[in-house]
Amino acid sequence: MNHRGGWALIKRSWLSWMQYRSFFFLLAFGWMVPPLVYLFVWHSAAGEASIGGMTAPQFTGYYLTLILVNQLTYSQTNWTLGDVIRSGELNAWLLRPLSPHYNVLSAELAGKVVYLAFILPITGLLALVLRPELNAGPREILLFLPALLLAWLLRFIWGYWLALLAFWATRADALLTLQDSLVFLLAGVVAPVPLLPAAMQTVAIYLPFRYMVGFPIEILTGQLTATHVAQGFAIQAAWLAAALLLARLVWAGGIKRYSAIGG
Amino acid sequence: MHSLKLLQTFARASFQQELAYRSNFFISLFHSLLNLGTGLLALLVLFGQVQSIRGWDFPATLALLGVYLIVSALRGLVFGPSLESMAGMDGEVLTGRLDYTLLRPVNTQFLASFRVWNLYAFIDLALGVAVLILAVVKIGQAVPVGHWLSFLAALVSAVATLYALMLVFAALVFWFPGVLFTWIFNSIFQMARYPVGLYPSWLRVVLTWIIPVGIITTLPAQALTLGLPLPLQLGGLALSVALVTGASLLFRVALSRYASASS
Repeated sequence: MNHRGGWALIKRSWLSWMQYRSFFFLLAFGWMVPPLVYLFVWHSAAGEASIGGMTAPQFTGYYLTLILVNQLTYSQTNWTLGDVIRSGELNAWLLRPLSPHYNVLSAELAGKVVYLAFILPITGLLALVLRPELNAGPREILLFLPALLLAWLLRFIWGYWLALLAFWATRADALLTLQDSLVFLLAGVVAPVPLLPAAMQTVAIYLPFRYMVGFPIEILTGQLTATHVAQGFAIQAAWLAAALLLARLVWAGGIKRYSAIGG
Repeated sequence: MHSLKLLQTFARASFQQELAYRSNFFISLFHSLLNLGTGLLALLVLFGQVQSIRGWDFPATLALLGVYLIVSALRGLVFGPSLESMAGMDGEVLTGRLDYTLLRPVNTQFLASFRVWNLYAFIDLALGVAVLILAVVKIGQAVPVGHWLSFLAALVSAVATLYALMLVFAALVFWFPGVLFTWIFNSIFQMARYPVGLYPSWLRVVLTWIIPVGIITTLPAQALTLGLPLPLQLGGLALSVALVTGASLLFRVALSRYASASS
């Protein structure tokens, strides 16, 4: 595989994305509002007491971390992939002497840089105003980082195979909307997973969505025992393997079906 | 009446255009149901943990969700898509197609606000009304007629306020072409899913006076569940009248700035 070409593409995408940064800042602002709403809602609900063992400043700490993690793991590129397939822009990708997956990966990494340039100062400012409480030791941070990396890979690749369904159905992006809703409900956005009603909590633990956002945050805020952390990593890795396999299969099947549209 | 006949024609034309893409109906239905489902589940999760937040219990917050859905549906029915097609991305202002709108022998603001209809918004409207009815049932006692009347008045001024805001954003595009004001607004409007009283005081001031998002949903919901004190009711009405008048004036000034962009 031509990795040098891939890196050149990544750099080029990043520079061209930076040109349109105000547009992407706008998108990033939109994505941070729902977690912010639930930060305030739970903060008000907790008041001076605590809910499920979490006090108001702890909710603030949880949700400010969530804004960062949500932004880091969100793959906007999967939304445009469907358009690329439908419009025939994919033809140009396929003709290049490097893997077409690099196009998606480069947009993904470029996006991360641009979004972080917006979201880091904003969360920093919010942290100064809202005074969160976050007591994460070195052990939590050490476990948090790999969980975060796996969460991004899982969310990205899971969305990737859904987006690749555009080879078969023109409206496949409805599935990405569904994924967003499930992440909202089951991945710790509407409430930290330990606070969900029992039935929803069980579903959340076995489905992949919690491992895209909520799991690393629960590690960082120290809400999980060692057994639960180990179990979580196992489920996360299993879903990641499944996502990789599905993405491979769907790509292989789709590219065979693909009959270039447009020029 | 001439303008009523025009409205009917606009609606029919939009409907005929949409008929060509019938699968859109199912996609719209899917999105509406998903939106409703996440909204309801979010409330169930929240009120699974607490009885009430700052005086808002489950039925009252449910009524507020109903108001949010109804107001959003009315916006999405006509003035949302109409103003979007004029001032949105690739809208008439940017492409210069506004020339043809200006040439027509009808009031331009009327044309810009009511020309494009999205009849799928009736799905959202029906779901919003259903949520509101559910909330009234949950309240458990008959809502007095006075509350209903005050609710209807508050709802009318809420929709008028929302219309005025959208008109202001459409007018601002004449000064700042390409800035996606409605996008920023849509993000902030997410906060209207919960009562303004839940937010910290600095944010409450912003949501009441600077971007009066809070008034749009909180006042009608409060009117229905608790009843509104007369000054608040009249204040809401006065504010919406003032906003619509001011927005119309701004729109007229904006139109006079238009220098056409066509070749």
